[in-house]
Amino acid sequence: MIHKLDPNSKIIYIFVANIAPALIGARMATASFILISIVILTIGKVLHKTAPMLEFSGLILLTVAIIQGIFHQGNTTVAFALGSVVFYKEGLMFALGIALNVINILMSFSILVLTTKPSDMVETFVHMGLSPRLGYVMSSVFQIIPQMTKTMATITDAQRSRGMETEGKLKTRIKAFFPLISPVVMNSLISTKERAIALEVRGFGSKQKKTFLNDLQKTRYDDIFRFVLILILILSIFWRVLIWLK
Amino acid sequence: MKRTSMWSFNLNTASLVLIPAAVGINYIGKLFAGALKLPLWLDSIGTILAACLAGPIVGAICGAINNIIYGFTLDPVSFIYAVTSIGIGVAAGILAYKGRIKTAVGAILSGLVIALVATVISTPINIGMYGGQTGNLWGDALFTWCTASHFPMWLASGLDELVVDIPDKVASVLIAFGIYKALPKNLTVLYKNDQKIERLD
Repeated sequence: MIHKLDPNSKIIYIFVANIAPALIGARMATASFILISIVILTIGKVLHKTAPMLEFSGLILLTVAIIQGIFHQGNTTVAFALGSVVFYKEGLMFALGIALNVINILMSFSILVLTTKPSDMVETFVHMGLSPRLGYVMSSVFQIIPQMTKTMATITDAQRSRGMETEGKLKTRIKAFFPLISPVVMNSLISTKERAIALEVRGFGSKQKKTFLNDLQKTRYDDIFRFVLILILILSIFWRVLIWLK
Repeated sequence: MKRTSMWSFNLNTASLVLIPAAVGINYIGKLFAGALKLPLWLDSIGTILAACLAGPIVGAICGAINNIIYGFTLDPVSFIYAVTSIGIGVAAGILAYKGRIKTAVGAILSGLVIALVATVISTPINIGMYGGQTGNLWGDALFTWCTASHFPMWLASGLDELVVDIPDKVASVLIAFGIYKALPKNLTVLYKNDQKIERLD
């Protein structure tokens, strides 16, 4: 069901999920949006796919917690001590705020990214007014990267079979970088010329207005979803105004 | 032959197909740096190369699309860092147009300038997103030391970013320079828009 939502609705969700907590200004708001995102991801059966992204940022967030916990400049209240290392409450709360923000961004984007095909996403952008030429550029990146990764594996094998060392001291590893990357780069740059000619021959540079292969499909759920989101946004603006008036 | 301005930009098909290739090169650079466990990112070689080949505007577009694609696949936070990538592309394009990236020494100096540009743009984002850290081991160690010795936040965070950016950008420009010199002429001439081309249509 989540997969069938219009990518537009998911973009609105990202927008609301990141603006509303900033307007409300409470950590609870951020936390509840994370929870909502987790629920949506679970319904879409893609929650497990967020693990690599979380791992990637989790490591940074962990060091943020440690460094801010010990050294944050407003630190006064001791939270706990591990041996001679003292963690302070202010620093840890600061780190918690950062962690909530980052995880909220991660989760809300995951809904769009994990439940939409890249080609559909690009098509939505073109419908929204992105130039079709740039749309082509974006969708061709998704094709070119797997291609280049394949070439990269071939070249690594080829160089290794010639006796190049790719492990060991830092100096050896730096030396290995050049013979690995230059053939891939040369290859891909030279093939761009052929691609340019192939595209031109098929009328890519034509100034005619382009048409779409697929129409955007909006379901009934889209309307409900968007209505709720806009309601949340209006309520949070209202909340902000109330705080200001106090 | 009359040279046109560096900002003159015709997004012809050749420059357009250069962009995905450049983003791919960025990706491969990062992948190799990770596979060889190098302490650098090396994820802007393609952006710099494209900027050298086709000017600052194509460089900026490469940077932006690079981070948008990253945002959609690996790490949504990199959307925000698109601003930094745009800065890198523009800086590299201007330096190349002015003829600063013609020798190895020039490439190293240009790397320093690009690193400075990247730091100035990234530091406020780092402070806003991660409380000033970059996630790189050496940089964060310096950040910790600075914070512990009560340096102001912007200075600690700026040094954190700069200490990683200088070796990274110098290495990236050097690699891009090496590749650029080895490219066949009939390819590089495709992207040059500094000379008038007579069209017959």
